[in-house]
Amino acid sequence: MARATGDGDPVTVALLGNPNVGKSTLFTSLAGIPTRVGNYPGVTVEEKVGRFVHRGRRIDLIDLPGTYSLSPQSPDENVAVDVLRGAMNGVPRPDCVVVVADATNLERNLYLATQTLELGLPVVLALTLSDVADRRGIRIDSDLLSRRLGCPVIRVAATTGEGIAAIRDRMLEVLGTPPSAARLVTSTAPNDSDAEAGRSPAARDAIARYAAIKRLLAGVVAMAPPAGKLMEDRIDALLTHRLWGTLIFAAVMLAIFASIFWLASPLMELVSTGMEWVSAFVGGLLPDGAVRSLIVDGILAGVAGSVIFVPQIALLFLFIAILEGCGYLSRAAYLMDRLLVAAGLSGKSFIPLLSSFACAIPGIMAARTIENHRDRLLTILVAPLMSCSARLPVYLLLCGAFVPDRPVGFSWLPLKAVVLAGLYALGVVVAAAVALLLSRTVFKGPPQPFVMELPGWRWPRPAVVLERVREAAWSFLMNAGTLIVAVSIVIWALMSYPRNDQAIDNDVVSLRMSLEAAAAGSDDALDRAELVAELAALDTPEGLAAARRGAAQRQSFLGRAGRFIEPVVRPLGWDWRIGCAAIASFPAREVVLGTLGVIYNLGDLDPAEAEGATALERRLKAARWDGTNRRVFTLPVALSIMVFFALCAQCASTLVVIGRETGSWVWPVVTFTYMTVLAWLGAFAIYQFGTAVGW
Amino acid sequence: MVSLDDIPLGATVRVRDVSGSDPVAIRLLEMGLTPGSDVRLLGRAPFGDPLELEVRGYRLSIRRQEAARVSVGDR
Repeated sequence: MARATGDGDPVTVALLGNPNVGKSTLFTSLAGIPTRVGNYPGVTVEEKVGRFVHRGRRIDLIDLPGTYSLSPQSPDENVAVDVLRGAMNGVPRPDCVVVVADATNLERNLYLATQTLELGLPVVLALTLSDVADRRGIRIDSDLLSRRLGCPVIRVAATTGEGIAAIRDRMLEVLGTPPSAARLVTSTAPNDSDAEAGRSPAARDAIARYAAIKRLLAGVVAMAPPAGKLMEDRIDALLTHRLWGTLIFAAVMLAIFASIFWLASPLMELVSTGMEWVSAFVGGLLPDGAVRSLIVDGILAGVAGSVIFVPQIALLFLFIAILEGCGYLSRAAYLMDRLLVAAGLSGKSFIPLLSSFACAIPGIMAARTIENHRDRLLTILVAPLMSCSARLPVYLLLCGAFVPDRPVGFSWLPLKAVVLAGLYALGVVVAAAVALLLSRTVFKGPPQPFVMELPGWRWPRPAVVLERVREAAWSFLMNAGTLIVAVSIVIWALMSYPRNDQAIDNDVVSLRMSLEAAAAGSDDALDRAELVAELAALDTPEGLAAARRGAAQRQSFLGRAGRFIEPVVRPLGWDWRIGCAAIASFPAREVVLGTLGVIYNLGDLDPAEAEGATALERRLKAARWDGTNRRVFTLPVALSIMVFFALCAQCASTLVVIGRETGSWVWPVVTFTYMTVLAWLGAFAIYQFGTAVGW
Repeated sequence: MVSLDDIPLGATVRVRDVSGSDPVAIRLLEMGLTPGSDVRLLGRAPFGDPLELEVRGYRLSIRRQEAARVSVGDR
């Protein structure tokens, strides 16, 4: 009987194949859930290893990145070649290679298979989608093919599980016996013809290989197309139809966007309610003080702040995995390619960028589907410029309070709506400009071929889809989530310390005096009412606590930083309080409203609720520059804040995820720097312009 | 010489040559666009680019810029 660990040395088996040939499905069928998912050293190419025991031998199955050829042209393909040659650090040279080939597209798939056979490693050829080939009337004589190639050839069908046991058996049987047939392409020396003379060895090899494959397949494949149209082909015809195909594409993209924008919110609500309950429970167990504050406001708030992203990530990857499983992801990239090429990106950037309008974090993670590394990095760098749902409350509150309620010019368009739409457009335009600029400068390189198979319709495998969702959520929680908690603790410390109760008392006393003075000097009835209300609130326990909280925050490192940077934010029309709120919103943009509430002595209000929002709106409208009667929040200032938040990178979680996904801390720093500079410039321009024209 | 980016929709042509010996040219050959193979233009994406081709029994998408390097003739 097989021991759980297997006997003897583990056998290393590599799984190799073209993209979109059912390699992930085969991996899941053979090895189940991977035991290790990470990156190969030094490159951001995913390393996936599964482990299982067969006939008492432990087998480590390495899932190599999808590749069309072993003459590598991308980091992904380099990794595949390095692993097969035994040149990859920390990865033993495989004892056997399982080459996955699509039975419905054997000719091109044998290109990679024959290259692999020439490496001299034992090979098992798995013909996936064999059931689909049967239905199409494609008959493959696998015995003949096996004799000609000199390696076992196994029919695989994911729907029935056919071939899985046979592959497990063969991969052990072929150990130590390299393929027996002669090399397919023996010489690539130029022949006499003129056309051949100018070709490179690689080009001659490709041409000779296809010619050899044609001879190899003679008598192996017989076609007997079925009489009627297959279900797959009917669906495929609909999806590629000029009109219907485009409409379905739009509907699918809308569904993806709607689901992560709206469908995720009840789930996120559930997560935050659950975390609030945990916080309240834990908080109740601990005595009031620094330890409780650390655990509740630092650690638990950080856990809540990272778990909250899981519903969106899971939903987005559910869609992506289904689209990938159907073969539709490539078609989506094909349909949108031209639009994104104009911005220096490619069609594969579309879904990640679209998702970023809901939240940049799942969007950046979805960039994993972009094989081209330059395009992937560019997409990650500009994704946070898409106006995410966290910016919306900021826009809504400031637009609602400070943008005049009138139509634009002589049109019927309400100005508030135009400003809101403009903020969304601003993000898109700036992202396009940044991507274009970077692709023409820093990321300028040899042209990358956009050469992609458009697979036909196929049914996605639930096991593969669920595994993709689980993997995305898990890797986020384990890698990014833990760091987000750490960042949250640091920010909690910066917001809570130093703390001096005497200074807080003094602050409250001087607040009362300045309010009294302001109320006496105010000539605006509404303002005076707000000042009187604020004064009266100081006599209630809640009002006093809120004022003390505001004072404590103003004293903290972050509060001091707000005062320190005042000269920098002055040209944007901001006073130190807004600067403070902007800095304090580094954990997440939406925090800015809550922080403004605390700074303006309203305590912990909920800006998402009408009551909290109105209270904050009233307080902001009444705010004056220290010691003067001049309003802080005017239209240019509100616009300046909104433009700043549209372009800034005030989201620690996004930066953490960029670091994790790119495997380097350079890129989050670059993202934060360029976005903050752009945000400042944008806010400066709109404020100065708005002030000059007298808005 | 006619190139693959200016054949009519639905037309089937035979590849004559792929110009250049850079990675793009090699990749086009590796995907099966070798001299003598037949290609059909199945469609164009909504903005006219990229192209959807049928070659060696499967569907391949390439941009017009790359298609321009593939010279074609009648079968």
